[in-house]
Amino acid sequence: MSDVMVDHTQKLEETAVPNNLEQQDKQDEEQPQQSVQENAEYEDEELHKLLVPDITQLPLIPPSAVEFNFASYFAPDFMKPGNDQYVYRHANGLCVVGLASTHLAFNDKGGITAVDFNVGKSDRSGMKVTGKRKKNAQHFESNTALCKVCTNGDSYIVRCCVKGSLLEVNERLIKQPELLHSSADREGYIAIIMPKPADWLKVKASLLSLEDFKKLRALC
Amino acid sequence: MSNEVESAQVSDAMEVAQLSSLAAVDSHAGSCEAEMPSRLLNDAVRSLPYHVVKDLLSIGVCSRCVLRILGTEDHIYCHSSFSQSMLCSVLEEVTGFKSEGDFQFCSVCLGVLQLSYRDDKETLVKMESPNDMALVIAELVKKEGHQIDGFSLEVSIPQFILENESSLLSGMKKRYESEPWLQERLLSKCVSVKDVLKFAITKPLETLLNTKASASSFRIRLAYTHKMAFGNSVERNQGFKRRKIGTENGLQNVNDESVVANKDCSDYPTNETIAVTGRSSLKVPIDKVSEPCHLVYLCYRTHIYLCGRYLKYSRNVSQTRWIIDEERMGEASVEEIIGSNILPMYRGDNYKFHAAGREDIDVRMLGSGRPFLLEIQNARQVPSEETVKEIESKINGLENKLVGVKNLQVVGSQGWTLMREGEAEKQKQYCALVWISRPLEDEDVCSISLLNDMQILQKTPIRVLHRRSPLERKKIIHWMKIERIAESSQYFLLHLCTQAGTYIKEFVHGDFGRTQPSIGSILGCRAEILQLDVTDVKMDSF
Repeated sequence: MSDVMVDHTQKLEETAVPNNLEQQDKQDEEQPQQSVQENAEYEDEELHKLLVPDITQLPLIPPSAVEFNFASYFAPDFMKPGNDQYVYRHANGLCVVGLASTHLAFNDKGGITAVDFNVGKSDRSGMKVTGKRKKNAQHFESNTALCKVCTNGDSYIVRCCVKGSLLEVNERLIKQPELLHSSADREGYIAIIMPKPADWLKVKASLLSLEDFKKLRALC
Repeated sequence: MSNEVESAQVSDAMEVAQLSSLAAVDSHAGSCEAEMPSRLLNDAVRSLPYHVVKDLLSIGVCSRCVLRILGTEDHIYCHSSFSQSMLCSVLEEVTGFKSEGDFQFCSVCLGVLQLSYRDDKETLVKMESPNDMALVIAELVKKEGHQIDGFSLEVSIPQFILENESSLLSGMKKRYESEPWLQERLLSKCVSVKDVLKFAITKPLETLLNTKASASSFRIRLAYTHKMAFGNSVERNQGFKRRKIGTENGLQNVNDESVVANKDCSDYPTNETIAVTGRSSLKVPIDKVSEPCHLVYLCYRTHIYLCGRYLKYSRNVSQTRWIIDEERMGEASVEEIIGSNILPMYRGDNYKFHAAGREDIDVRMLGSGRPFLLEIQNARQVPSEETVKEIESKINGLENKLVGVKNLQVVGSQGWTLMREGEAEKQKQYCALVWISRPLEDEDVCSISLLNDMQILQKTPIRVLHRRSPLERKKIIHWMKIERIAESSQYFLLHLCTQAGTYIKEFVHGDFGRTQPSIGSILGCRAEILQLDVTDVKMDSF
């Protein structure tokens, strides 16, 4: 695809004006405005050629933004059997944590009814982190509670899994707990945590890769 | 044309007359030198109040300062043929003053007008004629390899000299207050040390450099400093940009901390003391100036600005040099491609690249291009307009076709404001290659095109959250248009025009639902972005 781009580029820069004049040598003097307009249209055409992709080079299903930009890790049975959580780590070190699809909460009849961030010593949804240095971010351990996920019959504590500063919790879950059902791995994320490099290395050792997690849970 | 005059010590009044027989030394003289320079000098000297000259000479004021303070027109004594020693002798002869002892640095100008100073190697230099100083400058310009068609001469001197002068002047006004010459000579402001030196050096310099002094981007600067200069805040805040002569590494800022506050106020005598004769005696702050000023010769060209628009055809080229842990990210940078092709044409020390906004390394910059400004520091030559056009063609003709340039031209310092102006308000146009998790319907194409000036709320994208404040930003999507791609039901091109500062990638995939609404949420399915191109950066002035 890049070869195609190079060819078009040459045309765009070097021949835009001359080509145009050749085509209109007689009309040129009488209608100078038209040639300017046509010139612009020609450039637009050339630009368009650059924009349209070669469909044969595109995958049927492309990797998602998460797959592409994050490394996926899993914590099976974290602190309690059935408490499967994921940790998606971005190249910049930030970790998005949430419920893995195999979490026990998804088995409950009636599904997830509520998400409550008021656990532990404070309401996690109330904190305000400001500035580049992330002032006021609370420092949590990996077993610190983030929120409580409630179903008809039960409730489950979701924990950080990663030691670090809590930057954000997904407040939308309060009003829309069903997001956990529709997309626990995207819009239904629980929180964003920023670990220190050293802390990450420590916890990484205890997490599973996607492949290993699949094997463990016998997923296809 | 060099200075041919070198007069020996004049010890005899007769020899003063001999000076008038000197051949016409220069024809580049100013308009008012119709008569022989030496005769003018002679006449001027004879018209001075002799007793005042003696008084001044006896407290260590140099001959040029004497002439200057007593209101002599500078072209009379600034002639490049008049050496230090000659002027001194003329004055002494005519007024009958005999100086005792060795050469002293002037108690007012600290040696500046005696063309004496310490150079950067701490060597004591005593030049005889302004021509000699002009020669040093010309050598420096040549050594630095500057090609010039004009120059601007600047002189900076320690504040202390001005204080010396005003102290002396007020003393003189008291002492000679009843005398007739005072009105005419002293009460009008006397020419400053700076102006005299500039005047003396300018003409020989014009000859040597073969060009005229004018308001020019090429600056020649004589920076004088003195250890004894008390810690005046004015002095310290002058903040000279120091550059060592002939440094190849470019410009370095060295703060001259040797210009120190040795505040010794108690030694600062006033001119109020009454002498034995009943008249107040003249005093200057320093009776014996043991050290002259320190002089640094500088020549440099002020920044030259080139502006234009750049295009980026590659998805592996960053805008600016990007190095992490000694490893370069991407195969090249727009900054380096443009800068490295332009800098050699100006033979400058360094360049600085500024652009109106930026795009990610994997995003192409197409269409009209993005405005940029290139700052060239200390250019040794200024190429013509045609050459600039050639540079543009050269960059556009590079084999690897990574970057393109449009409308490259030299711009004044207003280019800076032009670029920053309204940067935040500018609209940007993009084209994104989008994939959705279900087939695209005609309804979708229609509903998307109906959304105009739609407001979205974006939380700081996770990919930049580590270095940006967690904020929620309101942005406007001005318009959108879907272009179907033949042979595909789930891929399409999304053309959109948004407010500056909108994160397009996050608007497409939603960023974990932290950008609301997103293409995915509008179409009710999962949306992913595969490629992004900037197709227009709207800015009129560029």
